[in-house]
Amino acid sequence: MAGRAPGRPTPGGRAAGGPMIKIVLAVLCVLGVAGAGVALAGDPAGKVFPYPVRVETLDNGLQLILIPMPSEGLVAYWSIVRTGSRDEYEPGHTGFAHFFEHMMFRGTERHPADEYNRLITRMGADANAYTTDDLTAYHLGIAKEDLETVMELEADRFQHLSYDESAFKTEAGAVYGEYRKSKMSPFFSIYEAVRETAFDRHTYGHTTMGFVEDIKAMPTMYDYSRRFFERYYRPDNVVLLIAGDIEPDRVVELARRYYGDWKPGYVPPEIPPEPEQTRERRIDVPYQGRSLPIIWIAYKNDRFRPDDRNWVASDLLASLAFGETSDLHKELVLDKQWVEFIEAEVNVNRDPGLIDIISRVKDPEKVDAVLERIDSTIARFQKELVSEKRLADLKSRLRYRFLMGLDTPDHVAASLARIVAVTGGIEAVETYYTTLEQVTREDVRQAALRLTPQRRTVAVLRGKSE
Amino acid sequence: MIRRPACPLVVLSLLVAAGCGGSERMDDMVLLPVPEDPTVSFDLWFAVGSLDDPPGKEGLAYVTGQLLAQGATANNSYEEILEKLYPLAASYDVRVDKEMTTLTGRVHRDKLDEYLPLLVDAFLRPAFREDDFERVRSDALNYVRNTLRYASDEELGKAALWLDVFEGTGYAHPVQGTVAGLEAISLDDVKRFYAEHFTRDNLVIGVGGGYDDAVVERLREARASLPAGRPAARPAPEPRPLEGRRVLLVSKPGADASISFGFPIDVRRGDPDFYALWVANSWLGEHRNSSSHLYQVIREARGLNYGDYSYIEAFPEGGQRTMPPTNVGRRQQLFEVWIRTLPNEQAHFALRAAVRELAHLVDHGLTEEQFELTRSFLSKYVLHFADTTAARLGYAIDDRFYGIEGSHLENFRRRLADLTLEEVNAAIRRHLQYRNLDIAIVTGDAERLAEALASDAPSPISYAAPKPPEILAEDEEIATYPLKIPRDRIRIVPVTEIFER
Repeated sequence: MAGRAPGRPTPGGRAAGGPMIKIVLAVLCVLGVAGAGVALAGDPAGKVFPYPVRVETLDNGLQLILIPMPSEGLVAYWSIVRTGSRDEYEPGHTGFAHFFEHMMFRGTERHPADEYNRLITRMGADANAYTTDDLTAYHLGIAKEDLETVMELEADRFQHLSYDESAFKTEAGAVYGEYRKSKMSPFFSIYEAVRETAFDRHTYGHTTMGFVEDIKAMPTMYDYSRRFFERYYRPDNVVLLIAGDIEPDRVVELARRYYGDWKPGYVPPEIPPEPEQTRERRIDVPYQGRSLPIIWIAYKNDRFRPDDRNWVASDLLASLAFGETSDLHKELVLDKQWVEFIEAEVNVNRDPGLIDIISRVKDPEKVDAVLERIDSTIARFQKELVSEKRLADLKSRLRYRFLMGLDTPDHVAASLARIVAVTGGIEAVETYYTTLEQVTREDVRQAALRLTPQRRTVAVLRGKSE
Repeated sequence: MIRRPACPLVVLSLLVAAGCGGSERMDDMVLLPVPEDPTVSFDLWFAVGSLDDPPGKEGLAYVTGQLLAQGATANNSYEEILEKLYPLAASYDVRVDKEMTTLTGRVHRDKLDEYLPLLVDAFLRPAFREDDFERVRSDALNYVRNTLRYASDEELGKAALWLDVFEGTGYAHPVQGTVAGLEAISLDDVKRFYAEHFTRDNLVIGVGGGYDDAVVERLREARASLPAGRPAARPAPEPRPLEGRRVLLVSKPGADASISFGFPIDVRRGDPDFYALWVANSWLGEHRNSSSHLYQVIREARGLNYGDYSYIEAFPEGGQRTMPPTNVGRRQQLFEVWIRTLPNEQAHFALRAAVRELAHLVDHGLTEEQFELTRSFLSKYVLHFADTTAARLGYAIDDRFYGIEGSHLENFRRRLADLTLEEVNAAIRRHLQYRNLDIAIVTGDAERLAEALASDAPSPISYAAPKPPEILAEDEEIATYPLKIPRDRIRIVPVTEIFER
């Protein structure tokens, strides 16, 4: 799943969704591990983001975003590649961005995999990586005295990755294993089906994991993997986001030393644009296990632009209409208890993406009735203006939640990674919150009017529940 | 070594009260003041958990706990609570484990006045309404019936291991309960359970962050309003006797193989050997980390699956988190190996590989190089375990559970400095073994796997790519490594029956 707008509350962060929503997020958000977080800060210059930021771009296009903050000697070191499963436009290569993320741990001539691993282990780093539709992130939580070593290691593997075909094939087995561990989830099944149905041409039509046939064929793609590296792992397609106990001048100096010789040459992918959807699509999703029915409605949406009031209004609409204090939540979750949870998510994407409305229905007989209630809720928001108070409460909540999530360097970097990858910089954060303040009740109504049946996919997974 | 202040910033204000690295303790309070933190974190620990579920009512502690966080109070309906919390961007939640129930929350201190009454009501004045009860109970039933059985084979495998080790005891069933247990629970059961266990003498209040004395006083008053008394503590469960190896196969059509195995250990956090054993276990199987030796053998060298880890403490939700959870203290722990999902035809080989590595560790211990590398790793890695006030507060509450003086994590870092290889290897010899194992496997190929295990037939493996000769030579040893599991010690349970009662 694409991530969320900065500061969007975690759906079900409170009790509303319970364990099931955590499962949705765990399965769909990223392949790897995502940060989470919570805490706060002040408001130094009328801006939302509470810490100083230094942005530098090296001659080769590598962008540095440096955020010094109190952290007791800890540093978050994130290499954000602006390539994800969106860039897998060639047939038969779905899932490759994620697979390639694994290959990045296979070493270089200077630092073979076992030595890289030993060095990272010795410094007690919290190191991992993940891939989503629009980005691949490599992140390390380290002590500040290890910063230069990490910089040397990361610069080396991003420029001089080297692995043989045997290592390549071995890693393909691990990736297939990752698919195996996820495939039993009903949310994974319906997510895969919704994507494939909603998009005719665009690469958002496949999940980050990729189609299983392509995953099985990965061991044969060694040569392609080298081309993939040459195309996308270039300084003009990467952002270094470093937060914590750092001295920005010193970091810039080290970046020039270790990354300065990296040759630019990013080749943008030829991603086919998605044609306008003109009629509703409906699917029943098979599932081999047992599950309560799951409903997933996906509306086509615009690409994320932080200054786009329409987009930001749709983000607010999702919470107002389907969030835990919405009338629909009260009716379906609390009063009638027809569903376990209901939530909506507006995907933050580089290209036009989706607005997802997801619910798990307790009574299989009530699936159609729940679909009807979702429709009538949208119809009501198309006719009526939301109250001023509810809109103001939501704006305040979003801002607060964003700030409360910025309490550690890693949480800061995790909160910013997607918006940096999608927009190419950190400026979008302030722009988003400025736009947020401008959104009116009428904007929210207009956002609802864009939720038309011909722009949506309706999927139902009717598991054989006991 | 990392250059940190001699005491972490977060506990500087505690120096007088508790000394570096610890939180302030009173009989009923754990205080972790962090004046520069603009938020306040709460961790209210009730000494009750699923171990206290009455037989036949498995899930009662879970449902009761969930109703505190997801139900009405005397002053507000659940809907009203959600409405009031919403603009505060605050929340509270509950975690129920086998011996602990914790109500946790976090709020910006500007919003404390609005938040605190809601939090206090949650544990002091739960309304236990019928509609909330039905909602929470049906969610729990769906979790056991559908989610646990069908949505994640890895979680299912781990739950099956605890079931097999502790069969017949209060540790056997999932914290969420069993199908029959949940169906048998009534709202009156919940009210009685609450009255019995949610008493002032069963509660330790944890507060951390930028709070002031008024908050502490308010919580102390609230606590005093709870009835006195403390039910007799349930004894720690006795695991089933384990001589040799036994296997529980959870038969699930269409499933690949998800393997967990282990055995009870008699060492817990705070015991003299715990830190030495921690080092050994970290080398063998650090959670979600490529430094894990098992990971290197099974995933990195052979590409069989996504990861392979080991544990000396319970680690719920391991697939969803990288750092250990807090507030899951248990008096009885397992040494546990988790082999992530792999093809059924490779399950026998992977199990052999993991048992063989465990045996090697037990027989030979760590080398000096392995010990030093792991010590270096852990000395900094544990800093990531508790990098927020809420996490530190969680550890401080757990310190109370285990009766630890000072701070567990700080104690560990200090102990690491003078720990020796001999101590680590002695702890391995004292607490780890490989001859008596409980093995749980979720599989879509149960009958064949049962026969293969019972016959101890070779389980050769092949690869899509050429492998170094040393790997192939080792494979031959692994493929014929004897597991010695008689057929009558292998039982097959259909997935539809597990956790039914």
